[in-house]
Amino acid sequence: MSTFASRNAFDPADVQGNILRGYHYGRVRHLILEVHHAAAARRWLGQCVSGHPDAPQITTEEHWTTRPASCFNIGLTYFGLKGLGASKASLASFPTEFKAGMAGRSVKLGDIGESAPNYWAEPFDDPSKVQLIASIHADDLVELDRVEQQVVNAGSGAAFILHTARDGWNFDTDHVHFGYKDSISQPRFIGVHDPDNHADGQPQAPIGSMLIGYPTEYQGIRYNIPQPDVLGRNGAFNAFRILAQDVAAFEAYLDTAADELLDHPLSEELLALGAEASFGPDVSRREAMREIVAAKMCGRWRNGVPLALSPTTPNPEHEVSLTNFNYEDNDATGCPYGAHLRRANPREAAIVQRAARHTRRLVRRGVPYGKAFDPAKPDNEERGLLGNFICASLGGQFEALMCDWINLGLEDPQITGSNDPILGANFRETSWFHIPLKSGKNINLQGFPRFISTRGGAYTFLPGIPAIRYLASL
Amino acid sequence: MSGNSSWMNSLVNRMATSKFFNYLAGHVLVPYWAWRTPVYAQHGGPRATIPPGDNMQRMMNLILPLKDKTAVGRAKAALAIASNLDEIYAGLDNVGTVHFARFVIIENNMCMISSYDGDFSNYIRDFVAQLGTVFDSVVALIEGGDDMIPTKENIDAFINWVHDRDVYQIPDTATDLLRYGTIGHSAAKADGPDDLRLMPRALILQLHKNPNSLLGSGYRGYPGLSVAQIRHKMGLGW
Repeated sequence: MSTFASRNAFDPADVQGNILRGYHYGRVRHLILEVHHAAAARRWLGQCVSGHPDAPQITTEEHWTTRPASCFNIGLTYFGLKGLGASKASLASFPTEFKAGMAGRSVKLGDIGESAPNYWAEPFDDPSKVQLIASIHADDLVELDRVEQQVVNAGSGAAFILHTARDGWNFDTDHVHFGYKDSISQPRFIGVHDPDNHADGQPQAPIGSMLIGYPTEYQGIRYNIPQPDVLGRNGAFNAFRILAQDVAAFEAYLDTAADELLDHPLSEELLALGAEASFGPDVSRREAMREIVAAKMCGRWRNGVPLALSPTTPNPEHEVSLTNFNYEDNDATGCPYGAHLRRANPREAAIVQRAARHTRRLVRRGVPYGKAFDPAKPDNEERGLLGNFICASLGGQFEALMCDWINLGLEDPQITGSNDPILGANFRETSWFHIPLKSGKNINLQGFPRFISTRGGAYTFLPGIPAIRYLASL
Repeated sequence: MSGNSSWMNSLVNRMATSKFFNYLAGHVLVPYWAWRTPVYAQHGGPRATIPPGDNMQRMMNLILPLKDKTAVGRAKAALAIASNLDEIYAGLDNVGTVHFARFVIIENNMCMISSYDGDFSNYIRDFVAQLGTVFDSVVALIEGGDDMIPTKENIDAFINWVHDRDVYQIPDTATDLLRYGTIGHSAAKADGPDDLRLMPRALILQLHKNPNSLLGSGYRGYPGLSVAQIRHKMGLGW
């Protein structure tokens, strides 16, 4: 065991590399596979962790000196573990929500109406076919194709059925559809990240909030380890989601809301006369108001600057940290209580479920898919985000966040009964979003539709390296 | 129930309300159905739902059979609650989503009856985070409880354990079926007793599997409000 391992209780060589850090490649390809020949699939898994020249090698958490041409990781669904031959006792030891699968938890996640699993793209509409998700990260298509071919060739082509491949690519500027700068803030882990170099106004998270088998920040609670221990320990769970973003509807709503707000008697509380000048040269009052609506809904300006540190302009006079900020209790005149960022992670602000403070943080690894929307040539092509939401407990973290905070808004009585304005399962007839003002009054936005819908997804288990060896040996 | 007055219909109609038929239905017919078409006992408590109002003031009726079914066992259970009462109340306060909770001993069962906002699993998980250590002394007195202790380290299993012991909640739609689907269908006796034969078989089989049940989601004096909203509006601090 290395010095790092003895300090951190886990060995980086035992952990898949996409959990605690981001790779920052330009492209990703997720291969959605079904186990066709279990013995061949198991053999191939073994080859992926033993240096076999014809199999892609699983990238681990180990430090690298030379950046590889690509990184490769796998996740297994309940059906995948079953298909590989995991025992009944072992399958039974996995958490209820994982066994039910993402489709089985759809109502909890707000996947209703057109987001319901029966409308998901193939093969996600038949969860039994989604068994192994192999993710390739690289900068160019040639490398993605090369590794994909290695996977397809597994077991002389007999190990898996490749149902579909989903490609995503990062825009040049780290922006995503809807125009926000993304990939800014992630949980920082005790013993992994240097607290002095990654100050973000929040306590560092214990490793057990992401890896299975370690203490969590949740007052003595330890999430159960799937059995046998070698299979569960050092793994993590992932909610893989294909989230379609309706950019046309989003931009159209910004127009509608900006027009409404410019006519609102309290509009100058949001945008003082002449303040549009701080938004950039030749920015009109209407354009500035559009940006204010976008920022209030998100909690950040679209350039990434947090509202908590720069409440009135995306271009603060002095540079501000993008990560090191907090929310004031009983004050939402900067960042609204219901803004996406504040809902998803209230940081140090007061919340109703005090016992759950800091316990629902997730590692988010999202990459856009589909062409960037061009407002000059609007189209109806599907575009969105291939999202991975990683945690030690899907029930305690991902689902808890989705069903009580993103939707419902239980964490603060002032937003309870409303859904996240960007990510929530909204209906035009019932949606509402309060923008608190310094005068103590609220402006209430209403009538916005659901902007993000679910097109597919699966709960996967990201096994540790010894676990992959164990599965290979079954 | 048919309104046709032929002797056959008349006989069948009389059979439906006869003691013999009731005995036959309860002791033979339903067990036979249950054998032919077995159903899983559904979890207790409310189902996952989207409308915000349905996610507030949800009901938990937990029935936990005591190991010791004597007065001594009941006394131990009473003592386990009483000696930790302040911590339990403080913990429930910190969970933040609980409208009320009470502990009742009914026929050698420790019953915890509460009304809470939001997701059931989140409620139980937060409850254990706050009170697991204290509550373990109560769980130790319950049948099957030993496997759950310490609850903080068996959290997933404990949530399922509690879910299984929460009383089956007949959905509101089914309650409406009972209310509107089985009354007034008899032309002969429009104001007569409800017609059991019109109840969905699946529901009868679920009641066969789940002897205890909550009828619908219950009455709310202030529908759609969370406990934090009430505290906030009353200036009580949340």
